[in-house]
Amino acid sequence: MRESALPRGLAAGLWLMGGLVVAAVTAPLLATDLPWIERGPDGLGSPALRGYLGLGPDRAGGVAERVVLRAPIPYHPARQDFDAHLEAPSGRHWLGTDGLGRDLAARTLHGARVSLVVGLLAALLALAVGLPLGALAGYAGGWWDAAVSRLVETMLCFPTLLLALAILATGWQAWLPDVLRIGLVLGLTGWIPVTRYLRAEFLKLRGSDLLAAARATGAGHLRIVLRHLLPSALAPVLVTAAFAVAGAIVLEAALSFLGLGVAEPTATWGRLLREARDHVDRAWWLALFPGIALFLTVLTCNLIGEGVRDLLDPRSRR
Amino acid sequence: MLRRLVRRCATAVLTLLLVTLLVFGLTHLVPGDPLTGESADPGVRPLTRDRLEQLRTLYRLDRPVPVQYGLWLGDLLRGDLGTSFSDGRPVLEKMTERLGVTLLLNALSLGLMVLLAVPLGTLAALRPGSRLDRWTGGLTYALYALPVFWAGLLLQIAFSVRLGWLPLFGLASEGAAGLGAAARLADRAAHLVLPVICLGYGGLAYLSRFVRANLLDNALIESGRAARARGLSELAVLVRHGFAQAAVPMLTLAGFLLPALVGGSVIVETIFAIPGLGMLFVEAVLDRDIPVLMGVTLLGSSATLAGILAADLLYAVADPRVRRGEVA
Repeated sequence: MRESALPRGLAAGLWLMGGLVVAAVTAPLLATDLPWIERGPDGLGSPALRGYLGLGPDRAGGVAERVVLRAPIPYHPARQDFDAHLEAPSGRHWLGTDGLGRDLAARTLHGARVSLVVGLLAALLALAVGLPLGALAGYAGGWWDAAVSRLVETMLCFPTLLLALAILATGWQAWLPDVLRIGLVLGLTGWIPVTRYLRAEFLKLRGSDLLAAARATGAGHLRIVLRHLLPSALAPVLVTAAFAVAGAIVLEAALSFLGLGVAEPTATWGRLLREARDHVDRAWWLALFPGIALFLTVLTCNLIGEGVRDLLDPRSRR
Repeated sequence: MLRRLVRRCATAVLTLLLVTLLVFGLTHLVPGDPLTGESADPGVRPLTRDRLEQLRTLYRLDRPVPVQYGLWLGDLLRGDLGTSFSDGRPVLEKMTERLGVTLLLNALSLGLMVLLAVPLGTLAALRPGSRLDRWTGGLTYALYALPVFWAGLLLQIAFSVRLGWLPLFGLASEGAAGLGAAARLADRAAHLVLPVICLGYGGLAYLSRFVRANLLDNALIESGRAARARGLSELAVLVRHGFAQAAVPMLTLAGFLLPALVGGSVIVETIFAIPGLGMLFVEAVLDRDIPVLMGVTLLGSSATLAGILAADLLYAVADPRVRRGEVA
């Protein structure tokens, strides 16, 4: 392997993640029943693009003869079609249809949006909670460290899924939009690894010359933490953040699978798998494809996390 | 040595107290109280004001929060977990009747996990970079990223729907009660195969990688090579050097696997319609049955705490270096 090249796993992870983000962002364009190009009274127009950008009224159900070009997946994810109930994958419906005749390809593609947003939101929140706590424990030491360590130890006793479900059940955050609500709850349960790693890194750095040198220049505590310690400790923390995204995506799917995630009619991978349960005896495609999407996404986050870790610490590359 | 053990136990008691505080705070330090707010079930009628006041008094929600916590803690010490919101039965009773199945499921999964992970990890560690090592490495990596609920669905489709080898869900076939003891046992076993696999594979992947890494760090390779050179069979190498060296560090990990198992039980029991604690928990979440939620959460977290503590203590006893106080 060339020295300068990224490790293979990391490169693959980054490519996959890039593709996933593009798919999530462009899902309403790729899977829509609005025509891409349509011949209107005043020349060619693109209802799909107008709909995507939120300009003007959609011209859904436009006359078929006027359509010049359709989207690659010409179905809206929530559009029901009882004539196409539980159709197996075919040229018409690439990934088949569900019990209400909704196109599975469109629904799976749209599911990426919720997963990615919730995953990123939860990871950001986990960093926002975990970094200050970890820095406090690792830098201040003493009672602060004891207090944070006890808290972390306590949180470690709780299965994350149970904690997230219990918080959701109490319902104090019910007024928030679903995606924010789930992201918030998963962030509140996901900060523990971040705190643990940052604390451990800071403890390592505490005895180092780096700290002594910074002190000697007369830097204040905040400056030392922000300018000197955090940058040296950030890389391993980012690794945990990548795993936090993966964890949050799985948990979001688990919540949706249990029927406690983002509400109908939004398509999420967990909800699609929940719906697949109802037809487990006749529609294998409902279980297969959303699961593949979820699995690949989690794998992608893990690849990135591990790739970055290997890049930083060649010893772990065994 | 003794002082360390006592100190460790004291910290565990403190953590347990914090666990109760967190469980209580989680459900009581939120705007409103457990009785306000919409039910997740649209069929449930809102309570009348009188009834609400009555219930508030019954569940002590009219007292200040710290007093509520003190009273709740006192009840806990007497083994009283309160009564369920949904049917008024004691939470402890509801939990004990569900506990058996979940314990069985978890014990089987944990056993399977350890029995498979140690040989797998050891074999991989004995010949790092070999084909076996690469294959198990790739496989465990994939298993680790495999969401349980998807794996469960795929297994159901493959083994129950397509092949028809195993039952789709539940714990017993229809009419199983009329069968003989042996047939009933076989029926129960068939129902448990898929749930146990689902609950165990994640931990198996994690554990086997852990065993491998740990053995590579230690001098197993050298001692194993030496043992093989002395003419010991592959099995003897595995048992004497693999198991023996992997056992101690694995103990510490077993404690940390418990939360994943408890969380996994919730999902696995839902997929396979197994009436255990996990299913009780999901029902409680949907009904907003706070006392049951608190009870199950408390049980799950104290079990984890006990697991971690037991692992720590065993580790201290099993590792001669720790025993002599050479390493922390």
